[in-house]
Amino acid sequence: MSYRDPSHTNGYEFTQGSGYELPEYPFVTPPELRGEAPGRYPVVIVGAGITGLTLACSLARLGVAAVVLDEDNTVGVKGASSRGICYTQKSLEIFDRLGIYERMAAKGVQWSVGRTFAGEHEVYRFDLRQQGGFGLSVQPPFINIQQFYIEGFLVERIQELAESSGRVDLRWRNRLTGFEQQADHAVLTVETPAGSYTLEATHVVDATGSNSPLRRWLDVPFTGKRGDDRWCIADVRFTTRPPQERHTWIEAPFNDNRAVWQHLMADDVWRIDYQMAPDSDPAYVSREDVVRERLARQFGPDTEVEVVWVGPYAYRNECVHAMRHGRVFFMGDSAKIVSPFGARGGNTGVADADNLAWKLALVLRGRASPALLESFNDERLEAAQENVRVTSRTARFLRPADGMERLFRTAAIGLAREHAFARPLINTGRMAVANPYSRSRCVRCEPGSAAGRSTQNVALRWPDGQPGQLHDLLGWAGGDLLLLAFGPQPAAALRRLRQLGATAPVRSVQVLAPGEAAEAVEHVRDPQGHLRATCTLDGAAAPAWALIRPDGYLSATGSRIDGSLVRAVEQTLGLHEPLHANPVEVSA
Amino acid sequence: MTPAALTPLPSTPQWEDADTFYEQLMDAHAGLSAEQSALLNARLILVLAHQIGRRDVLEACIATARLPG
Repeated sequence: MSYRDPSHTNGYEFTQGSGYELPEYPFVTPPELRGEAPGRYPVVIVGAGITGLTLACSLARLGVAAVVLDEDNTVGVKGASSRGICYTQKSLEIFDRLGIYERMAAKGVQWSVGRTFAGEHEVYRFDLRQQGGFGLSVQPPFINIQQFYIEGFLVERIQELAESSGRVDLRWRNRLTGFEQQADHAVLTVETPAGSYTLEATHVVDATGSNSPLRRWLDVPFTGKRGDDRWCIADVRFTTRPPQERHTWIEAPFNDNRAVWQHLMADDVWRIDYQMAPDSDPAYVSREDVVRERLARQFGPDTEVEVVWVGPYAYRNECVHAMRHGRVFFMGDSAKIVSPFGARGGNTGVADADNLAWKLALVLRGRASPALLESFNDERLEAAQENVRVTSRTARFLRPADGMERLFRTAAIGLAREHAFARPLINTGRMAVANPYSRSRCVRCEPGSAAGRSTQNVALRWPDGQPGQLHDLLGWAGGDLLLLAFGPQPAAALRRLRQLGATAPVRSVQVLAPGEAAEAVEHVRDPQGHLRATCTLDGAAAPAWALIRPDGYLSATGSRIDGSLVRAVEQTLGLHEPLHANPVEVSA
Repeated sequence: MTPAALTPLPSTPQWEDADTFYEQLMDAHAGLSAEQSALLNARLILVLAHQIGRRDVLEACIATARLPG
């Protein structure tokens, strides 16, 4: 199946004039309703959105049996008002490991230039290619693509993997209607067109999104806030093409001095997102003639506009107090809801899934302690809270309260036009990042160590000089931890690494700079020092070893291969928690 | 954060010329409407805040200004 050949249409290509046509997946009578009693599943995922499917695909790769329940029979959500379009480098790296990155890159749109305007003036512009932090990865800073494409790619990838392992069962039109937890398992009641059935699960993942029934049934505590800010998206195609840049207006003259976002996606579709007056009526602002009039004011009356899709929305902040309740893990929008500014919704859902998958796999294989699963909450709750904080600040800048808040925004915009120093105050969204983990029981945070941060998928060379990537090494580790030993090592250190590999789920590889001689059979070349750099904190000394988890995060680094490495491996697997927890710095 | 955790601000005066600053501040507002004055103050706070830069000092400055005068 080709996605680049326009004459070859398929289920979820753009269709002229009538919006998107989404693929439909068949309902298959589940084994429980065919009289086969399958007993208990290690993992049941509720919700086949981007988060649930990312987890399902990860588990399929790791050989974990799982069932995915989805009440619908397609990707995307019929009538949904707002879905993701912008995917960060970290997400792209995750999708690369899952095997769908190439398809995303072929279908999606890359961008690096962002421009911010207020009134008639440009306030500032940036080019991500000239900024640090993105340069080491094989993957670009961002790709814009409609969320349903990713979901469709994931479904096909899961089906592909099922042919080899047959372990992840996607069940469409299977709606969860009841749930109860027992001491060592949960019982789920599911309704289908062929009748109702129950199934048992050791672990349940709630990836149902912002209207999670599980959260209601379990009465999960959360903190939330909603405001009066209202927006309306118009996804459109044009006769004339705007530049391939991200444009944001804080105060757009063509939108009554309210904000406007302009982003390109696949199929030459532009997402134009208009801020409406506070408490606007969604039915009115999304009426076709009103939308067309708005577009004409921005692009001129002569630009022919094809409206693909329109969606009015309000947003709210919400974050659970804990992302695990008994046997249930909450992830994606069922754990936290943020405003769309900065693409911190979908991207963090993908990261939630990537965080839990390898932990479930190691625990279910008996290679790690169940305590490792608790670190999902340590790490992803920290990320969720940070993302709520960051997006709330943006929302407050974009919808300031009348009076002093608006006054300060006017002051900041005025200064930013003339002075570079004031530009950091302009907050049109802080793009999602791979959130660092500073308070995880399974990460050895030490001063000067990059532990708790994500590596980037850097390029390297195999011993024969062929190009490779860090992801090839993670793939080789196959769900185990990856230990990088930098430079020449004493014989005792190499012996220790071999012993470690024999007793723990760790695979070791020696990383050599130009001119260094190989001492271990498993070694790679790091000619540009990128592998070392991605394991080193800015301004700190490079470590002698780095322990990388299957999700690409560093769990520990060290200056000598000795007993500290063994303890770090144990901590990473949740086997032993450190006797003295490191003081945690929590930012205010 | 409790007030005890705040970075202490210098208690001994460190003005080069307090009277001149005060006069310049008054002159800058002379003839402005209340609205214009408010905008000038907001701009000035942002300029001064950037000159200070340090997060802990700025936090202490805000806390100090909020104390009942």
